[in-house]
Amino acid sequence: MEEAAGQAEEAGLASLLDRSQPQRYTGGFNPESWEQEFDKIPMFMKKSPAEIDPEQNPDLACLQSIIFDEDRSPEEQANTYKNEGNEYFKEKNYKKAVISYTEGLKKKCSDQDLNAVLYTNRAAAQFYLGNYRSALSDVSTARKIRPNHLKAIIRGALCHLELKNFPEAMAWCEEGLRIDSKEKKLVETRAKADRLKRAEQRDARKAKLKEKNEQSQKEVLLTAIKERNIKLFLEAFKEEDEISDGLAEMSLNGLSSDSTMGTKVYLDDNGNLNWPVLFLYPEYGQTDFISAFHEDSRFIDHIQVMFAELPPWDSERKYHPSNLELYFEDEAREEMFQLNPENTLRQVLQHQRYFVKAGTPAFLVLVKHSPFSKNYFFGKKVHRLK
Amino acid sequence: AGQAGAGAGSLCLQGGASCPSMDEEQARELLGFLRLDTRPDLKGQATGYVLGLTGSAEGRTLLAGRPDFLEALLLLTGDHSLAVVKDSYHSLINLSVAVATHRVLAKELPVLLHRLLDPGYAFADQVCTLLSNLSREEGTCCQVFQAMQEEGLGLARVVEVFCTEGYNKKAALHYLGPLLSNLTQLPETREFLLDRSRCVVQRLLPYTQYEASAVRRGGVIGTLRNCCFEYKYHEWLLGPEVDLLPFLLLPLAGPEEFPEAEMERLPVDLQYLPPDKQREKDPDIRKMLLEAVMLLTATKAGRQLVKEKGTYLVVRELHRWETEPDVQAACKKLIQVLIGDEPEPGMENLLEVKIPEDVEERLQHLDREEERQQGQQETQK
Repeated sequence: MEEAAGQAEEAGLASLLDRSQPQRYTGGFNPESWEQEFDKIPMFMKKSPAEIDPEQNPDLACLQSIIFDEDRSPEEQANTYKNEGNEYFKEKNYKKAVISYTEGLKKKCSDQDLNAVLYTNRAAAQFYLGNYRSALSDVSTARKIRPNHLKAIIRGALCHLELKNFPEAMAWCEEGLRIDSKEKKLVETRAKADRLKRAEQRDARKAKLKEKNEQSQKEVLLTAIKERNIKLFLEAFKEEDEISDGLAEMSLNGLSSDSTMGTKVYLDDNGNLNWPVLFLYPEYGQTDFISAFHEDSRFIDHIQVMFAELPPWDSERKYHPSNLELYFEDEAREEMFQLNPENTLRQVLQHQRYFVKAGTPAFLVLVKHSPFSKNYFFGKKVHRLK
Repeated sequence: AGQAGAGAGSLCLQGGASCPSMDEEQARELLGFLRLDTRPDLKGQATGYVLGLTGSAEGRTLLAGRPDFLEALLLLTGDHSLAVVKDSYHSLINLSVAVATHRVLAKELPVLLHRLLDPGYAFADQVCTLLSNLSREEGTCCQVFQAMQEEGLGLARVVEVFCTEGYNKKAALHYLGPLLSNLTQLPETREFLLDRSRCVVQRLLPYTQYEASAVRRGGVIGTLRNCCFEYKYHEWLLGPEVDLLPFLLLPLAGPEEFPEAEMERLPVDLQYLPPDKQREKDPDIRKMLLEAVMLLTATKAGRQLVKEKGTYLVVRELHRWETEPDVQAACKKLIQVLIGDEPEPGMENLLEVKIPEDVEERLQHLDREEERQQGQQETQK
């Protein structure tokens, strides 16, 4: 009877063996893609993937859910988040680090040392993201929990340094040095903050001096103009009113702010004014600009140079120096005054009815007896030279 | 070149007539009233009288030699009456100028030091002045330093308190300046202040401009001058980690405007000074500043650095403005170093040069001559 049972077993085993054909092991790595597959196994991962997709990485997703299991204590969870944040930090993935630390803080665990570290580490990540104020807020909170947390103090000092709050940076360093008087980073940072503070003070003094000099130069210029009894034209003011220095100064800037010429009257080393002057040729809608017309030079000298060759727009070839008449207009009263070309600019500017507009004296050039000039004079009172 | 020296001692001259001589019986009678359990009005009168005694040289000599009086006064600093405490302290301050009193007074150092650094102690200023006087003499200074170590109240704390505005609401503690200065007679204290791994001497630098107290300011500058005797530290002191030179030159600089090229050569702190910039008013302090800079020119490397930073410009202008003869002389000496030729090889560290005996004698003779002449000039004024 035993023999029969044994033989039956043998037969069963034999048939079992017959049925299971030697099959190839299919759970192995694919020879072509074995490296990528290797990297997907959590144990062999060299770095954490940016996203954990349960489809792609079921093992990792499973591990993650174990680690972040809500059943673990808040302290354990916070600690895990801290470690996660530190890993991201090492990889310079500061945004992710901030998120991890924040999650850790959300646990509101009772381990205050851990919380201080979470705040301090988050501050460091924020620092590298350039969010210095957020970082400062975090280290301040860290210090409220753990006043002697040296890393928080160091980070705070560095934040103030970046924000250019040099006295605060130094104060934080000194507080830290009270705890550890040889802390190298604090000694260095204090020295750096001190140097930068003193350089900043120098820059402020330099700027103040420059402003003072510019101001006094402006005053000297205005005085020179006043001394010569040259009047400046200002809109919305009656001519007889006193004009404040500030407004007068502004009017001199008139054209220079947005014009391509960008020049302004100046006082040269010999104490003479040099004006930017516009010559207008209304007949052809043309202009000439002299950037620095010395006040003691004569109109005739400039005209002879300017019209040594007839300009291209002078189609009738009539703008010879000897044919030209110079005028200035008093628009307020619709009057025109002829000026003597033998006069200097200074003499003309001192004319009772002359007002410098927008810091740039302007003069009209017309051809003697020309039909255009007759037309131009129509309706205006013209004061000619005798 | 001289030694790292102590600052001048302080006196509190107050009170009434002096009584130069006192026999043993009178002394014992007076001493009898100088007890904590004496009737308050008598106690007050007695301490007032003692203070008056200490106002004269004879009175001081009389009391300085009497340990029993000194001990009585020390005890009375613990009295309930503010007037008694004040008079006792002021008497002790006057008496402490005499080195003979130090043996007795030094016994009280632990108590005094604790009171000094107690932020609530109302008489911290008096204690400070007393300690400043005691530390003047080198021997007692050692004892003060030792007591500080033993009581765990090291230099670090003293510097910390010195740099804390409003540490003691009732005491300005300006005399911590001279105290520090006196302590730097000792090489150990200089080494602590000049510790490269810490930030100690740097914290003192802003006080070279401290307008509110010449005592504090002078004390700091004396401290810095004494530190300048340590030539091994010169390069570090002149380098960016400390940057001592601008803080020494700033009090000596005036509102002068220099052309831009020259201005940019000066240390940052001396550039573009405002038109209302004033120089240090106290001539003794000006002299100390010049001495400190002079010390920094002892080594070749230091000389180079001092020259590069435009020191000559500042000292030249100071020399033009200066009216005190001995400060003028100090200016001239410094200018000669700054624009003079480099000394021969072997002479490069002026602090280490061995002066031959006969030359030494001649120099001392010349010094005495100079002093005599200055003395004559002063009496002729």
